[in-house]
Amino acid sequence: MLIIRRRRGESIVIGEDIEIEILETSPTQVKLGISAPKEVTVLRSEIRTTRDVNRAASSADPDKLNSLVEQIRENAVTPEEPSSKNSPVVVPDNE
Amino acid sequence: MPSISTKQFGIVQFAEEDIFEFPNGLPGFEAEHRFLCIERPALRPVVFLQSTVHADLCFITLPARSVDPGYELEVAAEERTVLGLAEAEAPIWDHSLACLAIVCLPSEGAPTANLLGPVVLSRETRKGVQAVRDDCRYSALTPLQPAASERNAAELSPVGKSHAERLAEV
Repeated sequence: MLIIRRRRGESIVIGEDIEIEILETSPTQVKLGISAPKEVTVLRSEIRTTRDVNRAASSADPDKLNSLVEQIRENAVTPEEPSSKNSPVVVPDNE
Repeated sequence: MPSISTKQFGIVQFAEEDIFEFPNGLPGFEAEHRFLCIERPALRPVVFLQSTVHADLCFITLPARSVDPGYELEVAAEERTVLGLAEAEAPIWDHSLACLAIVCLPSEGAPTANLLGPVVLSRETRKGVQAVRDDCRYSALTPLQPAASERNAAELSPVGKSHAERLAEV
């Protein structure tokens, strides 16, 4: 990993057309200004993680659903959250 | 009454006001703006987040607090705007807002829930957003605590199978 020390108001460039400027610093946060071409995706890394996890979750194995439910119910500390209050669409179990 | 065809539940009828609108979609699914929350009594507390456009896009979610009873989330300004929450309004969980963690159920390996980026739904404005945190308190792959019976996988697997078959019949 390349490590560069910069102060507020200074910047770095990546390639020909990406520039990252240090706008503000505080003991816990850094505010960055990023100039990049439109076709370059700039994401917080947590959003990239969530994107990857969303993609993985979208192909969940339905065979595992029932054991998941048992697991959750056994671990439930508080009574079941009445999520039905949001008037969800309830599909009968057909049992 | 409008209806959609879904992979998991067959044809599902719903009312227009049942839909949650995600103005930004979800990361990785930016073009998906309309979802239904579907519950099945036998599978509570699971909430299915079903796309109203793509039959085979259905996220399995759990209330974040059923994954971690102490789970806390502050709704950031950007997400408040999307949800139509007033600036200073303290979020009222369980009443006006729901906080759901998307579950990964891999064919191999243990199930996990995304507590880094929970889905927040407003029951009043019918808006939704995936509120990705910027702290490091929670993981996108939080393991679900194994239940006592889970430790005996042999005992559970037949149940899982037969349920999967039932699901397929619906």
